Amino acid sequence: MWGKSKGSKERELRIYFATDIHGSEVCFRKFLAAAKVYQADVIILGGDFAGKAIVPVLTQDGMLRARVGGEDVTVPEAEWDRLAADIGKAGLYPVRMDAAELGQLSGDEEALDRMFRDEIAAQLQRWCDLAAERLDPSVRCIITPGNDDPVDADAVLAAHGRVECPELELCDLGPVTMASLGVVPTTPWNTERECTEDELAKQISDMLDPLPGGRPCILNLHCPPYASGLDDAPELDVTLKPVIRGGRPSIIPVGSHAVRDAIRRYQPVVGLHGHIHESRGAQKIGRTLCVNPGSDYSSGVLRGAVIEIAQDGSCLDFLLTTG
Amino acid sequence: MLQLLTDPNAWAALVTLTALEIVLGIDNIVFISVLVSRCSPRDGRRARQIGLSLALVFRILLLFGLTYLIKLTYPVATLFGRDFSWHDVILIAGGLFLIAKATHEIHAEVEADEAEPSAARVYAAFSMIVLQVVAFVVLIGMLAVNSHADFTSALATYSNHPGAFQAIIAGGKANGVVFGTSIAAAVAIIPFMVLNYNGVLYSYYVGGELRRPGRTYLYASAISIGVLVVLWIGVWALLRARIGLTFMQAQANLGVVNPAAYAKITSLSSVSGGLGYGMVLSGDPITKILFATAVPLAEIAVNLAFLTVTTRVLFAQAFDRLLPVGVAKIGERNHAPNVAIGIVLVIGIGFCFLTSLVNLGSIVALQSLFFALILLAGGIAATMLPIRRADLIETPGMPEEARKQWLRKVTLVGGATLVLALFTVYELVTHSSVYGKFSWESILTLVIVLGAGPVIYLIARTVRRQRNALDLNMAMRELPPE
Repeated sequence: MWGKSKGSKERELRIYFATDIHGSEVCFRKFLAAAKVYQADVIILGGDFAGKAIVPVLTQDGMLRARVGGEDVTVPEAEWDRLAADIGKAGLYPVRMDAAELGQLSGDEEALDRMFRDEIAAQLQRWCDLAAERLDPSVRCIITPGNDDPVDADAVLAAHGRVECPELELCDLGPVTMASLGVVPTTPWNTERECTEDELAKQISDMLDPLPGGRPCILNLHCPPYASGLDDAPELDVTLKPVIRGGRPSIIPVGSHAVRDAIRRYQPVVGLHGHIHESRGAQKIGRTLCVNPGSDYSSGVLRGAVIEIAQDGSCLDFLLTTG
Repeated sequence: MLQLLTDPNAWAALVTLTALEIVLGIDNIVFISVLVSRCSPRDGRRARQIGLSLALVFRILLLFGLTYLIKLTYPVATLFGRDFSWHDVILIAGGLFLIAKATHEIHAEVEADEAEPSAARVYAAFSMIVLQVVAFVVLIGMLAVNSHADFTSALATYSNHPGAFQAIIAGGKANGVVFGTSIAAAVAIIPFMVLNYNGVLYSYYVGGELRRPGRTYLYASAISIGVLVVLWIGVWALLRARIGLTFMQAQANLGVVNPAAYAKITSLSSVSGGLGYGMVLSGDPITKILFATAVPLAEIAVNLAFLTVTTRVLFAQAFDRLLPVGVAKIGERNHAPNVAIGIVLVIGIGFCFLTSLVNLGSIVALQSLFFALILLAGGIAATMLPIRRADLIETPGMPEEARKQWLRKVTLVGGATLVLALFTVYELVTHSSVYGKFSWESILTLVIVLGAGPVIYLIARTVRRQRNALDLNMAMRELPPE
């Protein structure tokens, strides 16, 4: 009832999994600290690490002006570090510029997009360096992308020696093999890594079919399985506004049928999911324990899951955490 | 027999019954529409026709059988010292079926398939809300056009007791009910007001915040306060003018402290409040039916809210490993948390039986204290937050001086709430004459309700540690960012 007795089975691997931190500096630092606090052997950041937007900080007459959280903020230039840290906490990228630069950028979508991608890449590079500096050498650090992360980010991860990015690959974790995929079925936001359900099913099967029969595996699929209770989100209309039924927002399952079918077919030991921030929870689908730790990155709170794996690759225990 | 045709009472009864049948028939149509919406359009048409035909046939058969059923009042079984007749068994079984079906439909709507049509279910829920709103509007209209004398005379007719009004007041006096306004009563209502405010605020806030992020909180607060002030003060002033404070206090209290004496005077429910007075004042059968339907609907809404909230609590406890994960299992066929709903239903029904068997003292006093303690906990949290964890409530980019002022303001508001909550608890405990006395059973119930969470946590943590499982303490351990 309250977790498996480990009298007969020894713990071989402890995984810490978090997801959807969307550029939050404080959440990434907490993610690194989780290795020590939870005594994890492997820490996995399961996608959507990129921030949501750039915040232009206008420099004028020794003052800094920015719009943060719907409020206009004006502080002296001396408070730049604190302002930048405050904006970074919410997963946004503060960029200093004068009025002329701001006017130029406003009409140039391509330049704006380039600047946004550069900010994401620069932050990711800083994060990887921080991981190399702070993590104990015995701890493996795995970062896989999600649908909101630009494809260019993969190159930053691949080039760094301290972190691993086994996207669309099988990754040996000792008693289990992990398969990772950040692509999700089509969303209303037309993000960078989307495809149809059929294409998603094919990508998953192409990745998992070579896995030797009987080898226990973990599926690190960014999108949760359809109608699992881990994929409930507000229903949106064509203008992306929430649909209100009976005076309250209509909540519907928005997960993937392909992911659900893959879990049924391959019966992994654990399914690691994210994507739907508000649908934190754990569910059993057949023999598979599926978890979505959810996300509360804008509050600077890191939600995660600790999972223990036995020598034979079975799942011994799990705990959803709030750190 | 022919006399029946000339008897106005017989015609009035026929009109009333016909109106009742029409309302129940509409209920059938809504219920069948809800079920039919799950079928494909082609099957739905057939299902609707068969369903309505069967409803008609069964309605006629049941009307014929009604006279037989209502006579089945002789006891057939005894449980917990109480006699149960077939009449009771049929009512309980029917009630349970309706609760289970309504719960199932509501959760099916919440967890529905994308492609699944939900218009009929929304229509059914919306009709329930509209019916209650209409009942309140009609009540306000009735209180406005009727005089105090109209009410006393209507109550006499309703209760079949010529001096019902004065008899209830006399009964209240004889049973120690304290009359008049008091600071204790005014303060004791604060926890309920906070709860009401939160409910209205939440409903405005959720919808508004999703449409206009970051801009609706003040707007929602102002509307919530406005709505509640008009509702509470406006309706209270009308009730006081038309019904009378002394009678209202006597009626509500006598029903609790001496239900037997109360039942001898009138059949009006002592807890039905304003809607009950509306039913007394209503002269025509349609308005009577409106109030008679709105009162149980309001109770059903409260019960469903209890079901939803408690199901969420079980969910949270399962995700926190305090209960087995299976408790939060989502059904594959209907996408509903069937296990959690089942547990809550059993607990709810068990609690209802318990309250009928054990004297829990004044349930109103108990509820007031419960909400006051929640207010107290909120006050402590709001006071301590700026001192212990200022970072959690700071606004990004706020200048240093403004930040200090903001934190000071939060501490002051928190402190004021704390003082108010402490005063409310003190008033509730020391003025039992206003809201009723506490008994050891009622205090024990409160302790169980408030202590259940920590006790389950301690048991689960101890058992898990013995089994060498992950320590539950880790679940809320704060991670250092540096």
